[in-house]
Amino acid sequence: MSAATPAASAPLTKTAAARAIEASKIYGQGEAEVRALDAITVEFEASRFTAIMGPSGSGKSTLLHCLAGLDRVTSGQIFLGDVEISAASEKQLTLIRRDRIGFVFQAFNLIPTLNAEENMTLPLALAGRKPDPAWFQQIVGTVGLADRLKHRPSELSGGQQQRVAVARALISRPDLIFADEPTGNLDSRSSGEVLSFMRDAVDHLGQTIVMVTHDPTAASHADRVVFLADGKIVDEMSSPTADGVLDRMKHFGE
Amino acid sequence: MLRVTFKGLFAHKARFFLTGLAVIIGIAFLAGSLVLTDTIKQTFDDLFSTVYKGTDVAVRSRNAIKQPFGGADLRPSVPASLVEKIGNVDGVDQEGGKPVAFGQLTEFSAQFVNKNGKSIGHPGRGAPTLGFIWNPFPRLSPWRLQPGGHPPEANNQIVVDAGVANTGNFKIGDRVSLTFNSGPVTRATYKIVGIAKFGTADSPGGATAAIFTQAEAQRLNQKEGRFDIITVAAKPGVSQEQLARRVRTALGNPAFQVITGAQLTKETQNQIERGLSFFNTFLLVFAGVALFVGSFIIFNTFSIIVAQRGRELALMRAIGASSRQVLGSVILESLVVGLLASAVGLGVGVVLALGLKALLAGFGVKLPAASLVIRGRTVVVAMIVGTVVTLVAAVFPARRAARMPPIAALRAVASDTSGGSVIRIVIGSFVTLLGVALLLTGLFASAGIALVGVGAVLVFLGVAFLGPVIARPVSRIIGWPLSRYRGVSGNLARANAARNPKRTASTAAALMIGVALVALITVLASSTRESIGAAIDKSFRADFIVSGQSGGPDQGFSPALGKKIAALPQVGATTALRASQFEIKGSGQLLFAADPKAVLKFIDFGAVKGHPIRELGPHQIAISKDVANSHNWKVGTVLDARVQTGREKLQVGSIFERGTQQGLGDYFVSLDAFERFYENQIDFNVFANLKPGVSAEEGRRAIARVADAYPSAKVQDIAQYKVSQESQIDTFVNLIYVMLALAILIAGIGIANTLALSIVERTREIGLLRAVGMSRPQLKSTIRWEAVIVALLGTLLGLVIGLFFGWAVVKSLSSQGVSEFAAPGGQLFVIVLIAALLAILFAYFPARRAAKLDVLSAISTE
Repeated sequence: MSAATPAASAPLTKTAAARAIEASKIYGQGEAEVRALDAITVEFEASRFTAIMGPSGSGKSTLLHCLAGLDRVTSGQIFLGDVEISAASEKQLTLIRRDRIGFVFQAFNLIPTLNAEENMTLPLALAGRKPDPAWFQQIVGTVGLADRLKHRPSELSGGQQQRVAVARALISRPDLIFADEPTGNLDSRSSGEVLSFMRDAVDHLGQTIVMVTHDPTAASHADRVVFLADGKIVDEMSSPTADGVLDRMKHFGE
Repeated sequence: MLRVTFKGLFAHKARFFLTGLAVIIGIAFLAGSLVLTDTIKQTFDDLFSTVYKGTDVAVRSRNAIKQPFGGADLRPSVPASLVEKIGNVDGVDQEGGKPVAFGQLTEFSAQFVNKNGKSIGHPGRGAPTLGFIWNPFPRLSPWRLQPGGHPPEANNQIVVDAGVANTGNFKIGDRVSLTFNSGPVTRATYKIVGIAKFGTADSPGGATAAIFTQAEAQRLNQKEGRFDIITVAAKPGVSQEQLARRVRTALGNPAFQVITGAQLTKETQNQIERGLSFFNTFLLVFAGVALFVGSFIIFNTFSIIVAQRGRELALMRAIGASSRQVLGSVILESLVVGLLASAVGLGVGVVLALGLKALLAGFGVKLPAASLVIRGRTVVVAMIVGTVVTLVAAVFPARRAARMPPIAALRAVASDTSGGSVIRIVIGSFVTLLGVALLLTGLFASAGIALVGVGAVLVFLGVAFLGPVIARPVSRIIGWPLSRYRGVSGNLARANAARNPKRTASTAAALMIGVALVALITVLASSTRESIGAAIDKSFRADFIVSGQSGGPDQGFSPALGKKIAALPQVGATTALRASQFEIKGSGQLLFAADPKAVLKFIDFGAVKGHPIRELGPHQIAISKDVANSHNWKVGTVLDARVQTGREKLQVGSIFERGTQQGLGDYFVSLDAFERFYENQIDFNVFANLKPGVSAEEGRRAIARVADAYPSAKVQDIAQYKVSQESQIDTFVNLIYVMLALAILIAGIGIANTLALSIVERTREIGLLRAVGMSRPQLKSTIRWEAVIVALLGTLLGLVIGLFFGWAVVKSLSSQGVSEFAAPGGQLFVIVLIAALLAILFAYFPARRAAKLDVLSAISTE
């Protein structure tokens, strides 16, 4: 089963799930001008888990927001698969976010009035679709919250809440999941749970994940780490380890 | 602390504007009502002091019959010979060798017909159309001839007021037709010989005036040789009291009442004031409702603000502000809002009064161009009421703020999701039941309308207090179809509405009050309509009924019409129906009269004890079972009654079953008796049956042909009569609906305000929803549906309360002839629909604002 499912969602060609071409994001003008992104060109391969790292103000969150269609680049292009989202209208962006992108935020990921199951299926409900029961069962099984589906977010632990958030991101089988510091508010044990769950989603479900983090341990769960500083990509690393990442980070720290 | 308060106020201008708006509307209405009635009162006070300025003494009959509904007393006329007698009294001034004493008739109806044959003005609706006598002594008269004219010297000459000369385009020398609704003359043509102003105004309060010679006016009123009142001027140096004493002695007859000009002025002014006080109370009640509804909005706004600022307030506590300071800061905030809103409301109220004045002018009630009267009392009342209402509504939220523990600063702000506690249920139920008890006592034990009002307010407060207990389950139920059929938007709307039961409940409570009152009026109106219809169905039968324009006992037409109808070859049985005021045991009552021989063909009195109605003699009276029982009167009892012509001993001849309770009257005499009792005979109905073989169409044509000469008479078959009687209350009911729309409007503002504040609270959530793919239309519809659920909650509560109030009031009015209880399902459904539409309308701006939130900054909101 786990072999058949990714084939259905991941593109067979080895094209990039998302690309940024000469993407710049400039805030302010003249003297006050800040280049959050400085002509970045980068690709994120499908069915891979990529981490974006960098010190505060390096532009990593801006990059994520622009890739996810939450924010617009000042110049350059952003592609999601073959679709240029930097040219999409606000309405198209809403549909793209709903149908092709999944999100996990640092905190406050869930709607407090909806229970865990309703939160998970929210993107489908918004599109007026019913979840595929087999797929839903599989996600629930992986997320390990089968007995908590009817609980409200306030009745779940932080780690459980984030796992529900990841499950919600998975439910619509998006082309790409963007995670913005998903473990930023969690203790190390809960962090571990959430990260292994994301790793599983890539390995067994063929999901593509791009995660912004500043935690080397979190980054070590990824297939590849991209390092940002001052709005530019300064380095990258494949099959990272926590120590390796930490070591590399020290070079841009100063 | 003070600076923080003002900075807070300034930072949330829009929010406080909305809160203030609730107060502004209520205060504007309050101030507007006061200013308007003060202005009208001042106008009439000035008017009557002018009218009676030169009158030192007035003589009239002492016998005054009270009107059952608090209207003017009815007095008999006095003989014209009194004028000469009074004129001879020492101390009466002389002018041109004649004593200044002049006989007048009460103004009567005289309606101008314009050059196209249309009536100018309308008796019974809008400004009156009046006839007067020309008074040759300018100091006894408010009328001032314009240059070029002269007083009426022959009976076919009249003077007209400058107002109607203008609207009717009449000039001196023109011939003009007038119609009269009583007396032997129904239509006559006169030559205009003068145009007069009423003091400095063109006309008396917009009324039209035709001013006749004494003799002509007496003929038109069938009062040859009689006057209603004689006014006299005193010689210089003789006081009003002195002259009154001398006149009294000279007349030597206690049947005549001699009063001073000052007394007459005061009496007339008091009468106007009584009439106005009803009008004033009517307006103030609605101002009170508006403020009551508004106080819920204020309460709610402050509650939400305190909840949202919980962290900020706790932080202040943590850095050393005392709980008293926090309390003070919130109270101060409400004080500023209250004062500002009251001041603005006062200003708006003055403008509103101007608008209402213009509106009255549109209906033909022209007030002289006197400036608005803004008394100090109006300013003080408006400022105090507005500020106090705001303060009281803010006190509970402020106390909650003061109790915020400093540690809360370190916690996330949790929204208050609590609903019912046992204490809440107990207190809420107690207050509600107390309210119900007071209401029922007030209604059924006749313990006074104030008790009913207090009871109603307590019911509203009690239910509002219970609101949070029921808000969650009820909004879940109301929202069920939404979450079933409107997908995730409906689901979220339902969840949001149930999320904070206190907030939802107090928002809904504001609407509840308005809806309850609308439902009450709807039930009352339809019950009254049904009762009138049922009474007509049960007790009235006639082929045709001729009625006066307004249908009531005051408006009618000359008995000559009834005689002409009776003489028609197509018509069989007929009777006239007349009514007037009489006094029995010192209380004013309505006395009805018809031809006893014919009346049973038209009116079913039910079972009759004693003599049959048809045998009712000229010294007998038929009374209803209800009054017979309550006074313990039997057949044969002799009643002491006072009628216009004096005292009458009336023997109870019959006791009939159906009185006021069944839509008939309680006291009934023959036309012969009535003609003896009253100087003026006016029919308000003529009932007529057709002879066998005469078709309805034929009959109608024949009757209409004779009725044509009587502009105030209307020919209807029983079905038309029923419809016109049923719809009589419609104008009044519509007026009340307009007033209540105000309360509903304020409740709508409350919904918008609560939604707007909740959206601020949920900014992050909205950002998240948008991020995971909720479209703007979906978000807007979520907010709209939430508003609809809250509105429906309020509407349903309001309907339940309104139906209960309606039921109670209808039951208590059963002795007044409201026999049927009718809750019109269709109309009540329309109320629900309107409430839902209103919610959608008022959710527009909050929804738009939410949809415009930038996704990224919404998500990253603290």
